Amino acid sequence: MIRSAFWFMIWSSTAFACDVTGQRMNSEVQNAPEVYLSVDEIPLARPFSVLVSICSETAVGQMRVDATMPAHRHGMNYTPKVTALGGGAFRVDDMLFHMPGLWELQVYVDINGQSIFYSSEITLK
Amino acid sequence: MTLWFTAALIALTGAVRAEVLLSADEIEQALSFGPWPPSFHTDPSNRVSNNARAIALGEALFNDPVLSVDGAFSCASCHDPEQAFTTPEARALGRVLLDRNTPSLRNLAGLRWYGWGGKSDNLWAASLHPIIEEQEMAHSPESLKTAMSESAYINDFEAIFGVIQNQGPELVLVNAAKALSAYLGTLVTDRTQFDDFRDALERRDFPAAAYYPEAAQRGLQLFLGRGNCVFCHNGPRFSNNEFHDAGVPYFLNETEVDEGRFSGLNFLLSSPYTLEGDWNDDPDRQGAWAVRNVRRSHADFGTFRTPSLRGVAETAPYMHDGSLKDLNAVVRHYSKINTERLHADGEAILSQLNLSEQEIADLVAFLMTLSKAPY
Ligand code: HEC
Ligand code: HEC
Repeated sequence: MIRSAFWFMIWSSTAFACDVTGQRMNSEVQNAPEVYLSVDEIPLARPFSVLVSICSETAVGQMRVDATMPAHRHGMNYTPKVTALGGGAFRVDDMLFHMPGLWELQVYVDINGQSIFYSSEITLK
Repeated sequence: MTLWFTAALIALTGAVRAEVLLSADEIEQALSFGPWPPSFHTDPSNRVSNNARAIALGEALFNDPVLSVDGAFSCASCHDPEQAFTTPEARALGRVLLDRNTPSLRNLAGLRWYGWGGKSDNLWAASLHPIIEEQEMAHSPESLKTAMSESAYINDFEAIFGVIQNQGPELVLVNAAKALSAYLGTLVTDRTQFDDFRDALERRDFPAAAYYPEAAQRGLQLFLGRGNCVFCHNGPRFSNNEFHDAGVPYFLNETEVDEGRFSGLNFLLSSPYTLEGDWNDDPDRQGAWAVRNVRRSHADFGTFRTPSLRGVAETAPYMHDGSLKDLNAVVRHYSKINTERLHADGEAILSQLNLSEQEIADLVAFLMTLSKAPY
């Protein structure tokens, strides 16, 4: 109870909307804005969509998404389609993981003219 | 009495369970190869895909030489319905010896790509290309229109597509291909011994599952495990429908190579018959995202579409060039694969498995159960 009130204070003090559902993506950049990835169950070798929320006070420019299989040294065979939903949220369609195993989902975000790299690991059965 | 019954039950289930060799994890993976048959969906890009009259016309045209300019071939000359819709030659014999093996035409509905190199993104385009391909049926749209007008099928054709004289030759060609595709979309392989096993596992009916031979179960374990086969051969069709290099030499002769996906993409991206093109009947253009977003890469060179393994025992010889004569040869190929020769750069999935004779026999036994009895 106390904890949720605390969170509420933090959020109400920020000036931007940010959807903190899903998995927080990793970045090596110090103080990089938080980025969250929401994804339902991923079907094997069939297209799926994800939502990416960028918690940045400054406006977000371009956003690019890719994915690779580190163990097999290959990426996706398709370029996913990115649609800005406003408020730092993006919908990414036409993702396709054509093999089971460990995938690294990669997001490149342009903030203040700087491209910041984020990644998340996803294991597909 | 009750006690005795419980004891008997434990003994019974204990004994039977011992015959299902798979771990819980392997059972879960085995379930992903079904259910079978898949439910039928109409093809939104083909307005006659679920039209009984078009299906009947498509079947008749498929078996009739009227679709070749000089009456020399029918589609069935290479895709023989009596031989699982293929023929036993290593490479197809058209007007000349073609570069590739004739694929079986079953289970094609709803795929993302067609052909060894994926030069079509829909089934009616894959049915259209052989009609005008010079080395195959060699029609032009004009000669096809004349042949169709003079054929015994003209009434059926007009009942489905309207008066032929009001149609340009290219429309006649596309319509004929859509009738063929309506027929091909109905061809599905039968349920198999593997499907009975898989469904019994899903019901947790282990006594029924235990009818599946242990050799095939061990083969399945290899397929899922050390063999890595499931990386590419997955889902109910045992194919991810993407393009890979399985270590089959791609030289056609001393100077020429089969470029596989590389030339398939060149063809696709200049074709008017894709889901992005004007001949698609679907206003929503479902599925067109693939041709729109597909990436070209140097690694496409010499890769081929992962074939489905359903009904595979009925369609020897194997691989895009028909170079492996039976399933035993295919398994031995994977067992001794020469990774130095893998041409697509990078992909690190296949490695020499060095299977024992027992393991080779087990994998073959498993592959056999993906075809209908008596295999
Ligand atoms: C001379 C032999 C021959 C004839 C005649 C022939 N085909 Fe084929 N067919 C092939 C070969 C070889 C391939 C593989 C071609 C490739 O991928 O490059 C193929 C591929 C196909 C495919 C794609 C299958 C898949 O798995 O993606 C379809 C569909 C098809 N043919 C339909 C037809 C139809 C319809 C006709 C008649 C209009 C026909 N074929 C006539 C040899 C033939
Ligand atoms: C890297 C992806 C990949 C892996 C892993 C893989 N395959 Fe394949 N498989 C393919 C491709 C691609 C072809 C067609 C190759 C060609 O024609 O050049 C093929 C062809 C085949 C064929 C011939 C089918 C036909 O109709 O011609 C069989 C059988 C087969 N594979 C079984 C297996 C088995 C068993 C394993 C595991 C030991 C395995 N595959 C592993 C991609 C793969």
